[in-house]
Amino acid sequence: MPGLGWLVLLFLVPIYAVLAVAMSTRLDPIFATPVPEWNPVQWDPGAIADAWSPELGTVLVRTFIYVGIAGSLSLLIGYPVAYYVARHGGKLKALLLVLIIAPFWISYLMRMLSWVNLLQPNGYVNRILMAVGILQEPRGWLDGEPLTVVLGLVYGYIPFLILPLFASLDRIDRSLLEAARDLGASPARAFARVTLPLSKQGILAGSVIILLPMFGDYYTPDLLSGATRTTMFGNQIYFFLNNGTGGNKGAAMVVILSAIVSVLMFYYLYTVARAAKEAR
Amino acid sequence: MRHPRERSFPGLDRRTFLQRGAAWGALASASGLLAACGGGAGSDGQTAGLKLASPSEPQSIGLSEDNPAIKSGLEPEAGPLKIYNWSDYIWPRVVKDFAREYGVEYEITSFYNMSEAVNKLRTGRVDFDVFFPTADAVPKLAAAKLLQPVNHDYLGNLESNVWPELADPWYDKGSRYTVPYTVYTTGIAWRSDMVSEDIAAMENPYEIFWNEEYSGKVGIYDDYREAMSMVMLKNGVSDINTGSPKVIAQVKKELIELSKAVNVKTTIDGAYSRLPEGIFALHQSWSGDIVAGPFYMPGKSYGDPDGVLQYWWPKDGTIGSDMIAIPTGAKNPVLAHHFLNFMLENKYALKNFSWVGYQPPMKSIKPSKLVSDGYVVENLRSAIVEKPNFSTGVIQTALPPAVDRRYQDAWSDFKSGA
Repeated sequence: MPGLGWLVLLFLVPIYAVLAVAMSTRLDPIFATPVPEWNPVQWDPGAIADAWSPELGTVLVRTFIYVGIAGSLSLLIGYPVAYYVARHGGKLKALLLVLIIAPFWISYLMRMLSWVNLLQPNGYVNRILMAVGILQEPRGWLDGEPLTVVLGLVYGYIPFLILPLFASLDRIDRSLLEAARDLGASPARAFARVTLPLSKQGILAGSVIILLPMFGDYYTPDLLSGATRTTMFGNQIYFFLNNGTGGNKGAAMVVILSAIVSVLMFYYLYTVARAAKEAR
Repeated sequence: MRHPRERSFPGLDRRTFLQRGAAWGALASASGLLAACGGGAGSDGQTAGLKLASPSEPQSIGLSEDNPAIKSGLEPEAGPLKIYNWSDYIWPRVVKDFAREYGVEYEITSFYNMSEAVNKLRTGRVDFDVFFPTADAVPKLAAAKLLQPVNHDYLGNLESNVWPELADPWYDKGSRYTVPYTVYTTGIAWRSDMVSEDIAAMENPYEIFWNEEYSGKVGIYDDYREAMSMVMLKNGVSDINTGSPKVIAQVKKELIELSKAVNVKTTIDGAYSRLPEGIFALHQSWSGDIVAGPFYMPGKSYGDPDGVLQYWWPKDGTIGSDMIAIPTGAKNPVLAHHFLNFMLENKYALKNFSWVGYQPPMKSIKPSKLVSDGYVVENLRSAIVEKPNFSTGVIQTALPPAVDRRYQDAWSDFKSGA
């Protein structure tokens, strides 16, 4: 029951408020900002359609590509890390976890700002890459590169993937693996048939946790690029929400993005429910 | 004697979206926005008649009996003085000077854009004594009785020290609700060690932004009004507040070409921090940003000893000003009046300028003296705002909501990188 209360308070009420702004047709007489229309009968669904444009479509596709690549990269990097700590951490497990998490006690914004420094033409990243001979001349990491934005997303969110992954890997009963080996499975096969399926929940939970905020991210492309070719969906929402009269268009964009992202969420809930059923 | 300013968050600077965004409600009735939303526009969307002020149609902001100015001759309250300001837009040491003189405490609260600040004031639950609005927000806040009229008996410095044009400005004739704070122009800043042309000597300097030679090193402000005004001025359109769909479509087209030509970046900190750091070769710039630029130069180039930073602003370019006002919720209105007067004292206005980089419109300020006294480096002399600039420059004014939406849509299409 308290769960339901939280759901209403933290999810349904905000969504209702966003819809009330997005589909309102009224403006404040003095400030010309949208006035929320609390009565759903008065809502104008056309406002959502009006917020859509081919240009926004381009941004949406780009956002999906960035988030898709960043999410996959996070998994490729995060899984081995979580696996190592869970399986081979031994007594150092707690320490390793703290070390992984420590940089993330610093705010996201500050960490991105440090990257701005590191990635400058004469910054340490270029200097190191040139010293070891990978680059011949400084690379313009900050010249509006999609790659920089994607790597920024990976760096920014990866700990939130590692933690749930670690939790699920750490929970796996080692006797199951021993049984697999005893019955003749090679290490790779034991991993593929036992460890990987058993960590699926962790993979899904971690992915949802990092993908959702990535979809709404706007400061990573802002700070690490600023070029129009790396604009993400969140940037467009931010622009309209921060310019008085554009508030309802910004809210309509939030509705569009939420609707699309909900599909992901439902897939997650569906898998969780199915897994729970199988477990019984 | 100076020290570098301590702005810390790129992208969160006080000018983040110098949002004249919110336009005045007056023309809401005619608004295509409402029409587009498909009828049913509530009557409250179209009533109140706020006029749109502009330099050619100056505006006196209405007074009302239930929102009077304070009486003359009152003693200042005991504080603490609560200041609500853009992030890093006042030197705390100057506020400390005031606090010491009046024996009060003070608190500075920051905001990052005007929408945020106005929304906070509209809750009616805040008790700031001093607020720093933009010209477009003042009539709205006054109409909503969120600002109180000022009593000039406490503001002797306004008439004696401030340029007459701004002691009686177009956006607030008679200075009923505000006193001026700073003035600035919008031009082009560049590094002479990275740009070979003398931009100031070009026939149409604005065209430099489209020069492919500087690809990746070109920035404009992430502010739709400033960026779009620049394109209009390049094309010889001096009405930078036009609602013409044709002009706006042309601006959008050329902005998209700008992206294609040089992969232009839109920033807020580019001019004062990343240009001096050498990441940009040229950037659209407010005069106040580039004045601070030398103190963002790294290592040996700190203070710009080689004079590489340059600034160009044409006599008919964009010019603007900021102001200070007193909210109705103020617990210390008399003290706040004294503070406004204090900020218009020559000594403190200049002291504040040395840190903020944005220049106060004081009669006592002589451009040559600003350079010789070290407030502005010699090579950035052109970033000093002079009184006659206000009669030749063009000013961004608030837009009717429908026109504003047109600007915003064009800007967001450009930003989509499609």
